[in-house]
Amino acid sequence: MKLIKYSALAVALAGSLNVSAETMAIINATVHTATEQGVLKNSTVLIEDGKIKAISNLQLDADKIVDAKGRILTPGLIGSMNQLGLVEVGAVSASRDGNEKKGGITFDPSIAFNPKTTLIPYARKGGITRDVIAPGWGDGPFVGLSSTVDLSGEFGSVVDAQNAAIVNLGSSSKGSRATGLQKFIDKLDKQHKKISKPKKDDKKAKKDAKEPSKEEKILNALLKGEKPVIIRVSRAQDMLELLKVKEKYSLDMVFSGAKDAVVIKSELAKANVPVIISAMANLPGNFDSLNTSLSSAAELEKAGVKVALTISGDSSHNLYQLRYDAGNAVSYGMTSEGALKAVTANVADIFNIDAGRIAVGQAADLVLWSADPFEISTKVDSIWINGKEVSTQSRHDKLRDRYMANSDMPHAYTH
Amino acid sequence: MQRFLPSAIVLAMVGAISGCNNSEPQGEKITINKNPYPSTYAAMPRTNVLIQNATVLTGTGERLDDADVLIVDGKIASVGTDLSANGAKVIDAKGKWVTPGIIDVHSHLGAYPNPGVESHQDGNEMTSPNTAYVWVEHSIWPQDPGFNTARAGGITSLQILPGSANLFGGRGVTLKNVPSQTMQGMKFPEAPYGLKMACGENPKRVYGSRKISPSTRMGNMAGYRSAWVEATEYKRAWDKYNADYAAGKAVDAPERDIKLDTLRGVLDGEIMIHNHCYKAEEMAMMIDLSKEFNYHAGTFHHGIEAYKIADLLAENGSCAALWPDWWGFKMEAYDMVQENVAIVDAVKNSCAVVHSDSGTTIQRLNQEAAKVMYRANENGFDISEQHAISWITSNAAKSLGIDDKTGSLESGKQGDVVIWNQNPFSVYAKAEKVFIDGAKVYDRNDKKYQAKSDFMLGQP
Repeated sequence: MKLIKYSALAVALAGSLNVSAETMAIINATVHTATEQGVLKNSTVLIEDGKIKAISNLQLDADKIVDAKGRILTPGLIGSMNQLGLVEVGAVSASRDGNEKKGGITFDPSIAFNPKTTLIPYARKGGITRDVIAPGWGDGPFVGLSSTVDLSGEFGSVVDAQNAAIVNLGSSSKGSRATGLQKFIDKLDKQHKKISKPKKDDKKAKKDAKEPSKEEKILNALLKGEKPVIIRVSRAQDMLELLKVKEKYSLDMVFSGAKDAVVIKSELAKANVPVIISAMANLPGNFDSLNTSLSSAAELEKAGVKVALTISGDSSHNLYQLRYDAGNAVSYGMTSEGALKAVTANVADIFNIDAGRIAVGQAADLVLWSADPFEISTKVDSIWINGKEVSTQSRHDKLRDRYMANSDMPHAYTH
Repeated sequence: MQRFLPSAIVLAMVGAISGCNNSEPQGEKITINKNPYPSTYAAMPRTNVLIQNATVLTGTGERLDDADVLIVDGKIASVGTDLSANGAKVIDAKGKWVTPGIIDVHSHLGAYPNPGVESHQDGNEMTSPNTAYVWVEHSIWPQDPGFNTARAGGITSLQILPGSANLFGGRGVTLKNVPSQTMQGMKFPEAPYGLKMACGENPKRVYGSRKISPSTRMGNMAGYRSAWVEATEYKRAWDKYNADYAAGKAVDAPERDIKLDTLRGVLDGEIMIHNHCYKAEEMAMMIDLSKEFNYHAGTFHHGIEAYKIADLLAENGSCAALWPDWWGFKMEAYDMVQENVAIVDAVKNSCAVVHSDSGTTIQRLNQEAAKVMYRANENGFDISEQHAISWITSNAAKSLGIDDKTGSLESGKQGDVVIWNQNPFSVYAKAEKVFIDGAKVYDRNDKKYQAKSDFMLGQP
């Protein structure tokens, strides 16, 4: 084995043959771990079977060697709360699979996830390796379940289905916001009562022990804290009300959108409730979001709130921009390390993803950058998902090349 | 009734003859006031300003290192090294960059303001496919907080356009980005009006769903053509009236129509077309349409497929105002390339512009331009900062017809200037000081120069 290893290494170094590598080492990297380890200079990251096997300041032996030449290696970025693979063209209704009006708590769009969408290779241009897809709207308050997907573009890339329940609350153009909140609380209340009833005689218990419904299973998982509940909400008072619910039932609660989260940052930190926000959302879109600013991410970080960044607006097609949002967050006071975590480790923590950090045992989702990952002048030099190198070339590049090519023939002949 | 008819005809005939009677005295000349809502803009308090030791991008393709910019009486006096001026406020900008004020040619601030409540949906008069009679300036809420956040991003001038639901959406207006309690107080003096037109999916969707024309792209084209036919007749009638009156004839003025006033303004070359149009084949037809009716096709906005017809756009002298990377929200936005602006720009006599169409990205047009520059440079282009800045300054000014007034740091131009904390093509760049007509309108480090809208005042 040793002998083969060395020869494979030689071949890899010669760069002439594509060896089916068992192990790969990225050497001479400036490793931004997104862990307590911080930044490790001149380090080697060893990958085996799609996972990070070792991180060392020694040059480790491997079937394939990639020399980072000092460049920055980060965990792959993780998007969230969008509809990647659930929409091809926004205004083409037949290409949209992410929302269901009457979907309710059990709606799981991930079984419709399309790994072959053109949005995926495009998102990889921004170093995105994993994503949490989520229903956007529905009658609510429960609108369905989110799932983690990888951006390999291969069939079977839904990694973790139904990993969180999505709830939409807050301002309502019809009726009162109180109704949504009340429905949310009632649903949890009812299920909580059901599962905490004292056991009665055997016959009755047997009768009760019938298979719980899909909805009950999800509610049970929420009540046991096994599944997070992601709540789209922006007004500070609404969030405070929800913190009471969290405390009552020990929910794993996360706020998304959370425009006015800065107003209650210390309460959020104390309650250990993370937020998923856009770093660019500084306009008062409604009366729930009068306090959001470009410094919100920084202020929340400083207060000790776990912050994950996501793209606002068309977050599926524009997902690749996530690194620029992180850069702007830094520009307005977030630490560079915190901003990196906000697009990697913190997202992983919220959705229980085994990636987002350069640490032993994590999925080998890695990005080698030409320079500072957040800078506009920087590009992705190499990107790996589960240890496998993937391309950043997309349909967009084909179109560019076609129309930049010199030919006497119509462009249609260039492909 | 019958017996009255012949006499009515006689009367009509008499009237027709008397209309041509040269001996009849002329009535008062009917003229149309082309500026009934005039600008009341006046520069804010200002001193003369000397910015020293900066890296200066002039907007004309030049980069000057360690250079000075002198603003006197609100105008660019000179750009060079070792400038001095008595009594000018001196700003040491060592390590900082200076550019012309940033111009966004496509904004809906004030017409679709924040908060985005129902009462504020004033940007799209979706009641007829041709609403050339509306003027978006009549919708503008000057207290939109977005004007202030845009100013913090270096925006000194911007064109507000009506939305794209209609074939003819109405007149756009160019503003100086200063706080005011009236639209007139922001209105850019002597800037030409724009007329918003829209191709493609939006008009045919909005009206097709109501079972009225247009419901197809051919319906769109028929709608434009009918309107221009009508406008041509209207122009002919007024031109004839004016000529006849000048010739001393006693003639009656044509009946006034404010929709046709605007279209006629385009045919007279006074109003510039701003055409929401994504697709190559549609832009090509809009150019032919303009030739059919003898006006200029103006600027194509959004132009996702502009790169497919870059030669044609330059040949026609049309600017293309584009996003760096928005795509996929509609079928007509599917064929985006990140190098679109660069490909359009690479053709001789081109006019590539980066626009926002967004209250969010208008705050970072510098970064939007940077995305294009760097992605293009990774793919065979060699674009410099001093060139790329023109996409959001001088080319934008050209698109709006204000390039004789602003958009570059040339002597005599208005003192619209941004001092950046660093290279504006960095994600970490921030506008530090912004000047409009030589007056400091924003200072990142001095609250005294940070305007706040009435709406935000006293909010919890």
